[in-house]
Amino acid sequence: MRKITFSIPEFYGWPTHLLVGGLLCLLLAGCRSDDQVEPLPAPDDPYAFVAPANFPPATYTFDNNPVSEAGFRLGKRLFFDPILSLDNTVSCNSCHNQSLAFADFPLHPVSIGVGGATGTRNAPQLVNLAFRREFFWDGGATHLDFVPLNAIENPVEMQEEIGRVIDKLNADPEYSGLFGEVFGQNRINTPQLLHALSQFMALMISNQSLYDQHLAGEYSLEPAEARGLALFETHCQGCHSGILLTDESYRNNGLDSSFTDVGRELITAYEGDRGKFMVPSLRNVALTSPYMHNARFNSLQAVLDHYSDGMVDSPSLDPTFRREDGRLGIPLSETEKSDLIAFLKTLTDRNFTNNPLFFKEQ
Amino acid sequence: MCCAARGVIQTVAYFFIFKILNMYLSNYKALCFALSILFVFSACRKEDDVPEPAEPQEFGTFDLVFDNVYGDGELSLVGTDDENFDYVNGNNQDFNITLLGYYITKIELTGPNGEYYADEMATSADPDEVKGFYHVLESDANSRTIRLNEVPAGKYDRVNFTIGVDADAVSEGATGGVLDPAEGGWLWNWDAGYIGFAFEGRSPASPAEATQWAPENAVQLHIGGWKDLPDNPSMVNNVKRNSIPFPSSVSVGERLEPNAHIEMNLLTMIAGPHATVDFSTTFSVHAPALGSEIAKNLATAFTVDHVHQ
Repeated sequence: MRKITFSIPEFYGWPTHLLVGGLLCLLLAGCRSDDQVEPLPAPDDPYAFVAPANFPPATYTFDNNPVSEAGFRLGKRLFFDPILSLDNTVSCNSCHNQSLAFADFPLHPVSIGVGGATGTRNAPQLVNLAFRREFFWDGGATHLDFVPLNAIENPVEMQEEIGRVIDKLNADPEYSGLFGEVFGQNRINTPQLLHALSQFMALMISNQSLYDQHLAGEYSLEPAEARGLALFETHCQGCHSGILLTDESYRNNGLDSSFTDVGRELITAYEGDRGKFMVPSLRNVALTSPYMHNARFNSLQAVLDHYSDGMVDSPSLDPTFRREDGRLGIPLSETEKSDLIAFLKTLTDRNFTNNPLFFKEQ
Repeated sequence: MCCAARGVIQTVAYFFIFKILNMYLSNYKALCFALSILFVFSACRKEDDVPEPAEPQEFGTFDLVFDNVYGDGELSLVGTDDENFDYVNGNNQDFNITLLGYYITKIELTGPNGEYYADEMATSADPDEVKGFYHVLESDANSRTIRLNEVPAGKYDRVNFTIGVDADAVSEGATGGVLDPAEGGWLWNWDAGYIGFAFEGRSPASPAEATQWAPENAVQLHIGGWKDLPDNPSMVNNVKRNSIPFPSSVSVGERLEPNAHIEMNLLTMIAGPHATVDFSTTFSVHAPALGSEIAKNLATAFTVDHVHQ
């Protein structure tokens, strides 16, 4: 061990340790008064929202609702609690399962609600929501806080009125205590409920797939994966773009020629948007079968078969899919599809789907 | 900008210092150097904290009183099972009124000599922290008077306000108070935003058969929609801003209790310059685009009837 020897040095005639102590006091006192220096979260704090460096800026309004451990855990408790539904049978978790990147089970092609009611669309995965501009297949919600309200009040999902949910929570002494601890108010209200759920969802960041490791130079893609990535860049990245693997636009990808679900037109009331749906993120795509808003395809192979040979025409079909020879879709050989699937599997993030942070507590 | 830059430098300096603290005794010169840098920045920040000396200013209150009327007459609500239809619309169709209300937000008062008051706006999960949003309901007399506090003394001759809840508020996410859907707030969830103006009633002219969205003989006009999208001209923003002159100017001061009576004429809304509503065809408006023409009538439906000094 190195021996530390020290003498008391002089500085303007004052012992330095006093001077240093004095200066430290001064600087600590001096900087308390301004709020511009935010404490940086400790990197090992699992409850701190830390945006990955290569992600776009977060869209979520953390100024109104900073994530705390107590808030996150309250949100998690609510996520798993069927108290949000009419007859206490359906929770968020019923259709959003962590092992599937919070997508629905393959046996539930569309969501299953109170009394076994079936929804009309496939429940999407819940990842990287703090970075998204719009939510749902039709983009009806533009803020994460408003997302759970739709599941709660939808008659074929939780079928419950938000006012009754708030009454049930207020009648529950345990929830009263937990909400009071997080939000410091006497009574639970809607924004507290939605803020707690947003705190839980905001930390659902998926950025540790093999693809991410490849981007960071920590993983060499297998030959098939590398060929698949090249094909992806040529044929898919126009829509599934950026680090979130979606450009968040609304497009018609040729599933139908007439539409029982008009998609984006529901929100815009614009006929040109008929049959358009939000381009989904492809993160964890190998886990989120079935595919498309209407759960048309059960496998990635079936999805690629659709893009190569299965598209049907309609006025709003995305121009990307119109080829010069008049045919529709993306020309892909069977080998190319197999390579693409190899690449798509590198988007699976097991660190995310196995992260104990999101496990139910009891 | 200068402060922000100093903040960054200060943060970096802190980091530097705490690293060096580990080596405190063996490297005290570096520590003293870093501390001196920090001291300089700490010291110069202090100047920003000195508040500007405020001029003594007199303040008063101002009340905006909303009176809902129909044409030249009064307006009153009935229950949803009432079979009397006391009003006649622009298409000679009888109807009654069971619900009427709107959000008033972003209120400003202006005066002839540059007087200016802007009501504070704030969203929060805590209802006590929510400021500047008013849900004016015909069914709640208290809601029809909006008291503005801390209005700088002076003369005022114009009020500006927004009817509805605009993008600034929606983009802040869930909010309490009058915007809380569990407390009667008019939040649309499927196209998340707020209904800015709503009228409901019944009319024999409306279909006797109930539909998925409307009970029998129902008339439900919900005006919502707040989004402007540059690349999508079909998105409808029905949030409107009105600027209405007072018939005469009003003084605000410490011992004064002035008010302005604002009339909202429902007849103008359903038979105004932009839309004359036919209840046999337009009886269930629950989407932004369906309400866009009716929403244009908001521009002239509100007038200042009179002021009280």
